[in-house]
Amino acid sequence: MSDQRETHDSTDDGLDLARRDFLKGIGATATVAGSASVLGDDLLGMDGLEVVDDPIGSYPYRDWEDLYREEWDWDSTARSTHSVNCTGSCSWEVFVRNGQVWRESQAGDYPQFDEDSPDPNPRGCQKGACYSDYVNADHRVLHPLRRTGERGEGMWERISWDEALTEIAEEVIDAVQDEEYDAISAFTPIPAMSPVSYCSGSRLTSLLGGVGHSFYDWYSDLPPGQPITWGTQTDNAESADWYHADYIIAWGSNINVTRIPDAKYFLEAAYNGTKRVGVFTDYSQTAIHCDEWIGPDPGSDTALALGMARTIVDAGLYDEAHLKEQTDMPLLVREDTGKFLRASEVPGVDVDVERADHVFVMADAEGELRVAPGSLGARDGQHDETASIELDFDPQLAVDRTVSTADGSVAVRSVWNRLREELSTYTPEFVTEETGVGRETHQEIAREFAEADRGKIIHGKGVNDWYHNDLGNRAIQLLVTLTGHIGRQGTGLDHYVGQEKIWTYEGWSKLNSPVPSRSVPTTLWTYYHCDVLDNADAETTRRVQEAIDNDWMPLYPSEREDGSRPDPRIMFIWRGNYFNQAKGNVAVEEQLWPKLDLVVDVNFRMDSSAMYSDIVLPSASHYEKYDLSMTDMHSYVHPFTPAVEPLGESKTDWQIFRELAAKIQELARERDDVVPVQDRQFDREIDLESVHEDFVRDWESDEEGRLADDREACEFILENSTETNPPDSDAQITFDDIDGTDEDNPERVRAVGDHWTSDLEEGEPYTPWKRYVQEKNPWPTFTGRQQYYIDHDWFLELDEELPTHKRAPTLQDRAEYPLNYNTPHGRWSIHSTWRDNEKMLRLQRGEPVVHLNPDDMDARDIEDGDTVRIYNDLGSVEVQAKQYPSGEPGTARMYFAWERFQFPGRGNFNSLVPLYMKPTQLVQYPEDTGEHLYFRPNYWGPTGVNSDVRVEVEPVDESDGSGGGGDE
Amino acid sequence: MSQSDEGDTVDLAEGIDHQVAMVMDLNKCIGCQTCTIACKTNWTEGGGREYMYWNNVETKPGPGYPKDWEDMGGGWNESGEERTPGELPDEEEYGTPWDFNHEEIMYEGSDEPLRPMSDAASWGPNWEEDEGAGEYPNSYYFYLPRICNHCTHPSCVEACPRSALYKREEDGIVLVDQDRCRGYRYCVEGCPYKKVYYNAMKKTSEKCIFCYPRIEGEGPDGEVRPPSCAADCPPQLRLVGYLDDEEGPIHKLVNEYEVAVRLHPEYRTEPNVYYIPPFAPPQHSERGESLDAERIPRNYLEELFGPKVNEALNTIERERNKVERGEESEVMEMLTTEDTADQYRLEVFDDAEE
Repeated sequence: MSDQRETHDSTDDGLDLARRDFLKGIGATATVAGSASVLGDDLLGMDGLEVVDDPIGSYPYRDWEDLYREEWDWDSTARSTHSVNCTGSCSWEVFVRNGQVWRESQAGDYPQFDEDSPDPNPRGCQKGACYSDYVNADHRVLHPLRRTGERGEGMWERISWDEALTEIAEEVIDAVQDEEYDAISAFTPIPAMSPVSYCSGSRLTSLLGGVGHSFYDWYSDLPPGQPITWGTQTDNAESADWYHADYIIAWGSNINVTRIPDAKYFLEAAYNGTKRVGVFTDYSQTAIHCDEWIGPDPGSDTALALGMARTIVDAGLYDEAHLKEQTDMPLLVREDTGKFLRASEVPGVDVDVERADHVFVMADAEGELRVAPGSLGARDGQHDETASIELDFDPQLAVDRTVSTADGSVAVRSVWNRLREELSTYTPEFVTEETGVGRETHQEIAREFAEADRGKIIHGKGVNDWYHNDLGNRAIQLLVTLTGHIGRQGTGLDHYVGQEKIWTYEGWSKLNSPVPSRSVPTTLWTYYHCDVLDNADAETTRRVQEAIDNDWMPLYPSEREDGSRPDPRIMFIWRGNYFNQAKGNVAVEEQLWPKLDLVVDVNFRMDSSAMYSDIVLPSASHYEKYDLSMTDMHSYVHPFTPAVEPLGESKTDWQIFRELAAKIQELARERDDVVPVQDRQFDREIDLESVHEDFVRDWESDEEGRLADDREACEFILENSTETNPPDSDAQITFDDIDGTDEDNPERVRAVGDHWTSDLEEGEPYTPWKRYVQEKNPWPTFTGRQQYYIDHDWFLELDEELPTHKRAPTLQDRAEYPLNYNTPHGRWSIHSTWRDNEKMLRLQRGEPVVHLNPDDMDARDIEDGDTVRIYNDLGSVEVQAKQYPSGEPGTARMYFAWERFQFPGRGNFNSLVPLYMKPTQLVQYPEDTGEHLYFRPNYWGPTGVNSDVRVEVEPVDESDGSGGGGDE
Repeated sequence: MSQSDEGDTVDLAEGIDHQVAMVMDLNKCIGCQTCTIACKTNWTEGGGREYMYWNNVETKPGPGYPKDWEDMGGGWNESGEERTPGELPDEEEYGTPWDFNHEEIMYEGSDEPLRPMSDAASWGPNWEEDEGAGEYPNSYYFYLPRICNHCTHPSCVEACPRSALYKREEDGIVLVDQDRCRGYRYCVEGCPYKKVYYNAMKKTSEKCIFCYPRIEGEGPDGEVRPPSCAADCPPQLRLVGYLDDEEGPIHKLVNEYEVAVRLHPEYRTEPNVYYIPPFAPPQHSERGESLDAERIPRNYLEELFGPKVNEALNTIERERNKVERGEESEVMEMLTTEDTADQYRLEVFDDAEE
């Protein structure tokens, strides 16, 4: 087959070229055969091209192959990862050529610890695979910059580090001297992605008396149902545990897009006998790889979950023993007040504790009233490992009776009976009507889930961005509780949104705030300082004000003695893009931003927050520093190590804030007016004259100057955490052990501290809740049990004492704005990082797009590729329309986090999203003491709301210019 | 031709000792394009290669990259002896690699949005991402990663009047001799998969080289590495090895279980990249019930993968049922990433030949 019989009329160009260029590198021994040669003897004779007899298998002229071999070459490699707000925590081998970062590839260096699961390697995604673009990008910030134009205009002057730090330090000193230290805000998200960089700025902020911002609640990543029901922020199995499930429901968690490094466990579970069901409003990128997909109407997931719960209860498929021991289902509730019946109210119930009014009551099989073990009043604080919920009697689930109390006879019902009454609403007909999911289908899935040996729900942002997210969370959580799919390998409800937890919590925490420090729920802070209270409905305003007045939620700057409250004054932003990602983007720009005298952004790239800052400080890229990386998707701790020196004048985050501390100290000592300031909240003085010394001191060992550089700060974290330095053990992990040199690779953490809910078991993926389910410690809730009934006054007033389905509040008129507006996390960026990356944009459409169902496009005369305007009463943005037949009709879907400068007129995907929050998420519970729910940053606080937003879309007449009425 | 002990034969091109091959499991492809980026940063970042995607991932059904490549001819006629005429894609069908105006916006005060600086951003290598076909809720789509197939019967090789394309004896990799090539582009026309690209800067054609410097261990560390697209794939959906390695999973999946099938076998170039065909959740009724009806039409899959796709899908279903019942399945085991280090059998023939 080697003879080349076909002839072509070569182009003139081609022949000319062929004549001109004599082939180089052809072996002299090659024969000139080729009577049947393509080009004929003429040409070959003329240019001396030697004929190849058989290009299949015996091609003689292969020296040229070195061309590509020479391209596969580098000078050195380093081990790093990426400090982005992503749960990936991936490992990368960074190649350096001629002193520059050339490219990166999967390091694949995680040790396998679970032989029953697929290989954990590799973990990186396409974005990580081109982070090197940012190292050398046009948009890299290389020098300290001071704004010369308006905020956002992109006009800068280059200034020296000394000028920049001096200007910032003067402002900081003034604020502290004015006793407005709590008007200094510091926003940086997610310590797990790079705890040292996180701590750099917040350590300084703590020392200055400034305010650290929450992020997990603000980004609407926190599932409020978890602190409500399980008394814990969130705790999740690492993704390797998915493989141990027999039945997985991916509920609003678009794993194949947002959990690319972990998707393997979900995909390969299919080859291990696991059934995978996807619950998504669209036929999503994860739905396509499920065994069954159901598509509830947007905002109706709670009704679906409660319908499934009803099926499970009606079919008798619930785990009765689990409900009796582990949940509040047997607890008795007074019919008159809706409050739990307390042991203190029932004479004759034997309870020997101080706080009998915090002790709950159940009825045993004989109808005797018994104290519920584990109640808050019978244990020592929220966490008490000496207490137990193990039962020595058999409580009744279904109770409907009267009891004699000190106030006389009172009707009571068990939570179980109340729940059954609530569930009775969710008939198959109602569920189908409300959700669009077939009556047979949702019941079948409910039964299959209940009957599986190990069932798991992977729960995502798709069901968490709603106003009533707490109700949705509680309803979906109910499914794993009813079935007892919790607290064992391969079970549970894993909510993977943001990295809320850091394995080395203790070390991080000590590095972060060596002194008592302020935190604020960012949703409330933003809401308040954007003056939304002036415009909200009366009830919301009343409740928000009450929560602030009751000190249920802190707000800074704090109210002064004369009743005034200063505006925020200085804001530091690093490792995040607050300005771009803020819901209520219009209000943030128009109301909040003018209040800030100084906005400082520390960044390696010019993002929207940097663009709208006054001073931008150039930080080292992820390949130019030391740090640590962790995630709750896996149990390894692993390093950033520098592949190259920081480019231009950039410095590591640690160095930048340390040098700022030094500048503050230097100027404070120079100025005559600087004296230590007594903190109005904490028993400490804010002493600017020692702030640098305090920054670099190891407060644990009192060693002066120890924490001068980032690698030493890494070591501090590892040294001071149970996970990497377990007490009474010589199993310490040091930075040297994991720094990527020689065979020093990532290591699995050694143990877990008490901010986790299970122990770490050798050879098994981490799976939460075992301390409660298996060891029978009380759950850290009011009742000591998984608590589905919340008898807080506000919950009772709003009929939310049990999970219930409520329709979304109407923020925009449905008739005027007929489309749901949804801004999910897409595959092309981690929030705004990579949104502006050329390589990524070339694999999209180069500009923001909105995904529309073709029917909605037809109805509006929109074609694929058209420019459209999306608008509501808050704002309007122009983007390209993309048809998405798998999107449900009635939804405009814009994968989020496009930067402001990617829109004409600098709108933003968040310009259409209001600032809104649900007052029940501002409460303290119990109302008086708050052990169960109390403000703790990223743990309990109001979440932002993204999804209850409506818009309309219309084509933009592009011949019409800017809409100014051109007529041609 | 390779002969095993049992006398089974694995069809290789005549004169080829061993044939590299890949099996891509479409049920693990999530369209993340990490392969695309890995390939690009390795080979096609500059020097006229910017627009090339030696590896691309396209949403199917869909026109793919270059646009409507499946309608462009090439390959062989029914007898397998004469080449079928093919077309040369034009620039718009590839899409141009857009440049952006970062600097103007970020540092020079421009109030334009960040956009491709060329006016004609109307097509690109992933323009119809996630679109597919059908109507909600019964729409369907899946991802198809594509590299050069390093065919056993490559029409690109035959198309070159200068014999500048060839198939390596030791591993069957198809290459364009960059010294000998003069950029006539007959190979581009002749390849029915449109996996040869013309480099207008160099005036030669270039294509996927199966990362031969990596599989040869030619880097400074001397390590044998699988092709970048496979090594960096997060769900590890690619098995890489030799078709004639009869102990390896590729041979078993292709020849023994016949669950891995060729893309467009009717082009008759005999590709050495094979696909585990996709399954999908069933369709919904108007009342939101799951139906006993396949979502991806079989005739579409037959169009893509030929009639063998039916038996392949049936076998996969049978094997999945086995593991669901708790039985062993060698097929399911081979498709599971037990150990990435063992997954790539690239050195199996080294000892024998050295």
